[in-house]
Amino acid sequence: MEKKVTVKTRRAAIVGGNRIPFARSNGKYSHASNQDMLTAAIDGLVARFGLQGEQVGEVAAGAVLKHSRDFNLTRESVLGSTLAPTTPAYDVQQACGTGLETAILVANKIALGQIDSAIAGGVDTTSDAPIAVNEGLREVLLDVNRAKSVPDRLKALTGLRPNQLVPTIPQNSEPRTGLSMGEHQAITTQEWGISREAQDELAAASHRHLAAAYDRGFFDDLVTPFLGLTRDQNLRPDTTVEKLSKLAPVFGTRLPGGVEGATMTAANSTPLTDGASVVLLASDEWAAEHKLPVLAHFVDGETAAVDYVHGDRKADGLLMAPVYAVPRLLARNGLTLQDFDFYEIHEAFASTVLTTLKAWEDAEFCKQYLGLDAPLGSIDRAKLNVNGSSLAAGHPFAATGGRIVASLAKMIHENGGGRGLISICAAGGQGVVAILEA
Amino acid sequence: MPALTQPPALGSLYAKAGLFGQLHRGSTLPDSVYTLADQSIDPSHLLAYQKVCGFRVTDVLPPTYLHMLAFPLSVALMTERAFPFPLIGLVHVANTITVARPVLMSETVSLRVNAENLREHPAGRQLDLVASATVDGEVVWSSRSAYLRRGGSPKSSGAPKSSGAPKRASAAPVVGPASLVKVPDDIGRRYGAVSGDRNPIHLYGVTAKLFGFPSAIAHGMWLKARTLAALEGRLAESFTVDVAFKTPVLLPSTIAIAAAATDDGWALDVRSAKNGKPHLTGTVSR
Repeated sequence: MEKKVTVKTRRAAIVGGNRIPFARSNGKYSHASNQDMLTAAIDGLVARFGLQGEQVGEVAAGAVLKHSRDFNLTRESVLGSTLAPTTPAYDVQQACGTGLETAILVANKIALGQIDSAIAGGVDTTSDAPIAVNEGLREVLLDVNRAKSVPDRLKALTGLRPNQLVPTIPQNSEPRTGLSMGEHQAITTQEWGISREAQDELAAASHRHLAAAYDRGFFDDLVTPFLGLTRDQNLRPDTTVEKLSKLAPVFGTRLPGGVEGATMTAANSTPLTDGASVVLLASDEWAAEHKLPVLAHFVDGETAAVDYVHGDRKADGLLMAPVYAVPRLLARNGLTLQDFDFYEIHEAFASTVLTTLKAWEDAEFCKQYLGLDAPLGSIDRAKLNVNGSSLAAGHPFAATGGRIVASLAKMIHENGGGRGLISICAAGGQGVVAILEA
Repeated sequence: MPALTQPPALGSLYAKAGLFGQLHRGSTLPDSVYTLADQSIDPSHLLAYQKVCGFRVTDVLPPTYLHMLAFPLSVALMTERAFPFPLIGLVHVANTITVARPVLMSETVSLRVNAENLREHPAGRQLDLVASATVDGEVVWSSRSAYLRRGGSPKSSGAPKSSGAPKRASAAPVVGPASLVKVPDDIGRRYGAVSGDRNPIHLYGVTAKLFGFPSAIAHGMWLKARTLAALEGRLAESFTVDVAFKTPVLLPSTIAIAAAATDDGWALDVRSAKNGKPHLTGTVSR
């Protein structure tokens, strides 16, 4: 006889978050490793919520650029933190979607009753990046290692060549296309006709909003200073659209239209950044037992992927997967795009946000590619990235999800309730999206 | 009909081509059929081929792999005294491969090569080298390579005829995303070491200049293989891939491989990433 199991689910609560200020690449955190930063972020969270010596259900985190010695990065960080050393941990990697994906994973475990509390997060350094030995050298060294006799080893060593001394440095490019993320987005930007002005306006607004949020103390219980930084190093409070309009384009200059037609600059694209963020999730009961607040609940999450390698140049852009994930998430939850008080659309590039919004407004695209009778429509732009986003804060790949989840939960709480949508694009043509509510 | 028991040595065939190349006569193709029965696949050779061409390491032979195994038979045929043209100077202009079914590393293949279809071409004369592979008598793979001998066409003053080469897609630009691939300057030497095709035009700038090229050029069949490697996971179990070689890839270089989906496969377009010169066009079809 089939065993019937009725699974009761509950919504995971977001208790709070902590991150270190994000630093520009080769800036203040040049010599800090992923483990250093993730441990600092966890310890800040532990201090904020009085979790010293506490065994949390689990810690899930990850890094996009990770050295092979960091195979157990999160567990090692937990062991070095003030959490109980009996706290289990694991690593997750889904490119820039890593941070939000960890939150989805632990929220689901909490929802199923498998755990009562968890920490989700991510970290990345582009300064202390892993460097690999040249592929030719690696193969020769492995052959030497495999050889069983001295003559065989010597024979294997004859494969050495001077050019193998040049190391391999990780590159921010898609392995299958050889194009950097910026070059991919430049194609999408051009296909969707996103103007330079609109991108610069979004970038300036991001800096303005983030600076205002710092000024009013919004980040006081979300950010812990680290290595001399108290605010995100990339933040330019005094930036203006006029200043941004003077910058030369850096991506898409070789597309049809050339430099004249290129619109993406260093300011309306996120810079390489170092940093870490974590979020504390729990059941309502666990939070109450620990006398901790519930800022918002994790409602649902969805992921999607596009064929940016061989797909349509316009519809399947590298960073367009969230465009596909959101309508599926909305349909499952019986919501429309307008049923939100806050929209957190990760600013990988200003044009990524603008393309996403434009695609949802495009009736033909929504019909042909999303299978919708009517377009998702426009959003109230006053509800978009209201406390700044990645263009101002920076974007340490795996740390962005944790930054957004914690900030959005606090915004909803401050608002006295409401609903927020998170949309994060990721390398490999993937997108991770989620809904928070209180 | 030469029935070989082991592959002919390419080095000595090239030496023969260099020494006696000018002695070729005749206006018709030799009707020789070269066969090489029951060849097992050398795993380390397959591995080296997969790595140099960018294929995944797997038990399934890349679609272009058997072409390389059959190539020495083609060279043996083209260096026969009765072959109408010297080997050196023949240009590989097109290649069509049909994969009837995936062939595994564990299988034993028998190869067969003949030449046919000598024809006029506006730029000279063309012919096809036809190769096939069988497993237990079943044809699992076949290949047709068109070679051009420039000039010397007795009727070149006539109206330009259709080349009669295998049909392929028009050279209309492909609209689709392109993959950028860096082609290092030693790729000719590396592919030459694996394939045995150490034609000097592929090895060094100095040796290529002797034959009128500004630098060493990539092997056409390497380019075709690399293009197919970019379609990893997107090829059917059986298909025909038909390509024309355009301008050579001068080494080193960065190429843009574009593949656009068609009704029954892919339209291929490979160009120089720097100046847009076409290197290869073609189709993959069922």
